[in-house]
Amino acid sequence: MTLTLTSYLALAAILFVIGLYGVLTKRNAVLVLFSIELMLNAANINLVAFSKYGLFPGVTGQVFTLFTITVAAAEAAVGIAILIALYRNRETAEADRYNSMKG
Amino acid sequence: MEQILLDFDLRVMAPELVIVSAAALLSIIDLLLKESRSRKVIGWFGLAAVVLAGVFVAMAFGHEPYQILADTYRIDSFSLMFKAILLAGTAGVFLFSLASGKEEWKSREGEYYYLLLTALLGAMVMVSSADLITLFVGLELLSLSSYILVGIRKERGEANEAAWKYVVLGGVSSAFILYGMSFAYGLAGSTNLFEISRRFAEGMGGSGHLFIYLSLFLMMVGFGFKVAFVPFHMWAPDVYQGASTPIAAFLAIVSKTAAFAFIIRVLLVAYSPLMSDASWMEVVSWMLMIVAALSMILGNTIALRQTNAKRLMAYSSIAQAGYLVVPFATIGLVPFDLFPSMLFYLVAYLFMTFGAFVVIEFVTKDRGHGGISAFAGLSRRSPWLAAAMTLFLISLAGLPLTAGFFGKFYLITSTLFNNQEWLAAVMILTTIVSYYYYFGIVRQMYFLPPYSDQKVPVPWLATIAILLGVGGTIGLGLFPEPLLTFIGELDWTSVLSIASSGAPQ
Repeated sequence: MTLTLTSYLALAAILFVIGLYGVLTKRNAVLVLFSIELMLNAANINLVAFSKYGLFPGVTGQVFTLFTITVAAAEAAVGIAILIALYRNRETAEADRYNSMKG
Repeated sequence: MEQILLDFDLRVMAPELVIVSAAALLSIIDLLLKESRSRKVIGWFGLAAVVLAGVFVAMAFGHEPYQILADTYRIDSFSLMFKAILLAGTAGVFLFSLASGKEEWKSREGEYYYLLLTALLGAMVMVSSADLITLFVGLELLSLSSYILVGIRKERGEANEAAWKYVVLGGVSSAFILYGMSFAYGLAGSTNLFEISRRFAEGMGGSGHLFIYLSLFLMMVGFGFKVAFVPFHMWAPDVYQGASTPIAAFLAIVSKTAAFAFIIRVLLVAYSPLMSDASWMEVVSWMLMIVAALSMILGNTIALRQTNAKRLMAYSSIAQAGYLVVPFATIGLVPFDLFPSMLFYLVAYLFMTFGAFVVIEFVTKDRGHGGISAFAGLSRRSPWLAAAMTLFLISLAGLPLTAGFFGKFYLITSTLFNNQEWLAAVMILTTIVSYYYYFGIVRQMYFLPPYSDQKVPVPWLATIAILLGVGGTIGLGLFPEPLLTFIGELDWTSVLSIASSGAPQ
């Protein structure tokens, strides 16, 4: 039983780290948004794993996941809308070219 | 009588209900109004809703704390005081937006006003909730609305870029908070903060201890982004520069206050078992003190070489956030002298930051660029405007006769009281450093020649906004007692205990 929980947590941790790495290093803006989704989904896996195999199993974690999936969808929508507006102005989707402000 | 979920007196949620119904109504009115009609009426209606919600919050003070919606939502002195600050800040932002004119947002004026309301609603949910799910949803409502508000001037490249940076870093910080929350849930099996606290108390010691710290650190990274503490502050200057000035003021005042309330509630309630342990002093307190010291040092020193007025204010607000977290970092065994000193500074910060942003908006708009050289010779062009700006800067710098002085004074005495002399020394030294850049603007206004002799045009609404800022800054500077007595008399210990559910009698 504990082995199962540990493997889920390990999967979530790996996803979270891949996501964080992606946000920090990817040059393509769409991939940056994808990476954020990976990080959020890592947390979702954690919540579902805890609600099934955790110390105190219960349905709350799954309910929380439903909320976060909804929120993440809204966040992706806003992120992509902002990216489209930005693309129209700059005509590039390379995130490292969005650097007009410094200091 | 058995309680069911929606079995509560609707009056206890009146402020939130007013805001949510105003936001819904205004979005419909915006759709129905003719394209050519001015959307100003929506702004006025929104302002009226904020004021009405403020009246309900004021009426709710003094009751016993209570919880509704299956203990996820609580109304106590803590949430009421923070809601009052949030509502005051948003009312100011509404006035400011109505004054600064609509050419900024073109056809999106209606949208702008009701997104301000939804952002405010998210902030109010955050300060009131006692459950991780409600906290997270409130936080995201505030964040998503702010992302759009930052990017609402979509013709401008820099607004887009600011919104992009904000949405990416905001998304990452949400993911950190959520990942931390998932561990807290895993250890406690519940999302209720009081339940978590009880389970943490049982699970202290052993390997559970490490996971408690892991969840705390992940959440702190996320909050660090939201409040813009130093290792995670890099978005703030870009976002403040790219966003329109009222939105920059909104982020500096409302978002920051709400995120603060969030940190305090989570740490004081869910992580309270750590406090009874020596590890609080060794780990959590040190972590917060180092973050505070770094924010003060880096915020104030990087501000020295800023030439853009809004970027300067961004670094200044990073430093102010550092001052604000000091009383919280040093709470030891007597936690409740924390609230008076911190809330007083928060109220003072609201007035002076708001006033400074209003003046910056009209001076830089007149000049056509955002550099601090726009202030050159302002004392000869508009002496009263220059005097008001000087007052706000003096208050931000923390010199006597202003609200900022008493705020800093109480913070420093409470730090000394808790025997953290080095932190008080950092506060004093960085304050002295901050004189240099605040007085850089004063020097521009009084000692440099103006570029024209014209008065800076300031609409009457903006004059009211500036007068409110001046009134608050001087009022709290000359008579700090009433506010301090008021805050001191509120029942702060209620934050820590589970309240009865249902409406007050």
